Amino acid sequence: MYTNNNKPHTPFHSTATICPFSDMSNVVVLDNGGGFIKAGHGGEREPSTVIPNCLYRPLSSKKFLHPSPTSAADDLTSAAIRRPIDRGYLINPDLQRDIWNHLFSSLLRISPSNSSLLLTEPLFTLPSIQRATDEIVFEDLGFKSLFVADSPKLVHLYEASRRPYGLVAKAQCSLVVDCGFSFTHAAPVFQNFTLNYGVKRIDLGGKALTNYLKELVSYRSVNVMDESFIMDDVKEKLCFVSLDVSRDLQVARRRGRDNLLRCTYVLPDGVTHTKGFVKDPDEAKRYLTMMNRNAQPYSDLNQGSDRPDYAEKLEERKKVDLTKTEFDLTNERFLVPEMIFHPADLGMNEAGLAECIVRAVNSCHPLLHPVLFESIILTGGSTLFPRFAERLEMELRPLVPDNYQVKITTQEDPILGVWRGGSLLASSPDFEAMCITKSEYEEMGSARCRKRFFH
Amino acid sequence: MEDDVSNPLRRMSSRTRKIAPKMAAALASSDNRTQATLARLEALENDNAGMETVEPIDDDEASLDDDDDGYVQKKQSKSTKRKTRQAKALENARKAPRNFLELLHEANLESLPPHVPSYGKAAVGPPSSTCRRHFCTVCGFASNYTCVRCGMRFCSIRCQVVHDDTRCLKFVT
Ligand SMILES: [Zn+2]
Ligand SMILES: [Zn+2]
Repeated sequence: MYTNNNKPHTPFHSTATICPFSDMSNVVVLDNGGGFIKAGHGGEREPSTVIPNCLYRPLSSKKFLHPSPTSAADDLTSAAIRRPIDRGYLINPDLQRDIWNHLFSSLLRISPSNSSLLLTEPLFTLPSIQRATDEIVFEDLGFKSLFVADSPKLVHLYEASRRPYGLVAKAQCSLVVDCGFSFTHAAPVFQNFTLNYGVKRIDLGGKALTNYLKELVSYRSVNVMDESFIMDDVKEKLCFVSLDVSRDLQVARRRGRDNLLRCTYVLPDGVTHTKGFVKDPDEAKRYLTMMNRNAQPYSDLNQGSDRPDYAEKLEERKKVDLTKTEFDLTNERFLVPEMIFHPADLGMNEAGLAECIVRAVNSCHPLLHPVLFESIILTGGSTLFPRFAERLEMELRPLVPDNYQVKITTQEDPILGVWRGGSLLASSPDFEAMCITKSEYEEMGSARCRKRFFH
Repeated sequence: MEDDVSNPLRRMSSRTRKIAPKMAAALASSDNRTQATLARLEALENDNAGMETVEPIDDDEASLDDDDDGYVQKKQSKSTKRKTRQAKALENARKAPRNFLELLHEANLESLPPHVPSYGKAAVGPPSSTCRRHFCTVCGFASNYTCVRCGMRFCSIRCQVVHDDTRCLKFVT
């Protein structure tokens, strides 16, 4: 069925135990996110490839295509999407195998039969899903050995190695807040292990935020319900976290230039441009002036509503508006990320991020509480919204005992942080010993092998 | 169920009888509201939310091209084409990817001993404060009104009109 040059042509048992030396450089590190796959070679700083974890079908195509690093350049207007992952977990192993096959053979160009695999898997993955994963890794792709890690542990490892004398490294303890594509976790890590019993989850991530933005824009201006790729771009470029929701709502109501939040996004027209873009990037950044609490009050910034260049711009905007290939955003820009802080506003019966963190900390030993609050690490693509950490601290501070410090660090690259931790672990000398080998899998089966990863 | 409702009704005074249908309607509408909220939240996890027609899963008919550049319809041999509709349906049911909630249900996590951490126990739980801010679902600004049919919020007559025209009961079957 597949062009699978990786499938072992030899029967089981014949090769696995003979290999006399384990080749350290042959570890493939795969951070298999619900949104993006980050993949590359253990020991390197950057993954070799980052691709969406889906098949997609552009309007111009009759068939679903494999994602590649260049697919971002295609015209993705109204592209249909099929993802192997639902709510963070693998639900379609056939599709995942297909995507991995393409990844290993065409993008990474590695041969699984002489490689080890370090694979990330979400916390609390169901045994049936673990079994399906092991089957793909060993039986379909034929990897030599496998190590499965959860993301908080890898993020912790990476941050500890970056600052060997920092608190995270010295106390061997941190609270990893991973706000990704499918969901958000607050996970305590202690002595390099994720404390499962302390983990708390909010069922909101970047995917829900994009869909919420689609809903808002579709009802207010243009129907963009089919535009997942484009609205991801809108979200990434224009959304931010508010530090004062009621003030910002008032600003968003103002007319003309006084509305520091209004900005315009131009949709692709399929003729002159196949990518959407922010019409006036400087205008889109004006909100930053009022976010800075030390800046002058924004009434001072409001002069100039009658400046001729602005009047011209307004005219220009009205003209283009008729074609319906662009739309304005105002309060959507901060109401979308707002969901993570207050899911209840949306009708979800779930606590927001600050409470989520407090609950995670409180389920650990009291001796750990002060250290955990002082070593909060933010990771995951949805923490990239401007002012995310500031807002979190504002909400968290009143919930934490006064004598504890609250310190929040955002990862240097929240999208690649997990992968880099994996790359680091894969290059450690005892990595091979931590893996389960193909022959062990064949002998013991999935369930017994899996137990090893947690001790 | 039928009996529970009709028996007490028979014994009610005429005044109560007048009110009862209204209460039943209110109950139904709050049910609608819950339904609408749940459906709306569910929609946030959809991939192709805007596409009206869900396309058939054609995994088993599609395969990788030899030069590995995408999906192509595999030419079906005549014998497989003649597969009965029933067999086909069965096969699709077996192959169709299931959603996570189904797998979760199958895993029967409730049977785990109480001290074992699991997906269910990791849920953050309800917020400690019940106060919920209300934003107009049409324009996003603070809202004081709730739609009696579906429970979504709006802030003004203008937004109510938009709501009624476009999204009211959209999420209720
Ligand atoms: Zn409104
Ligand atoms: Zn309604």
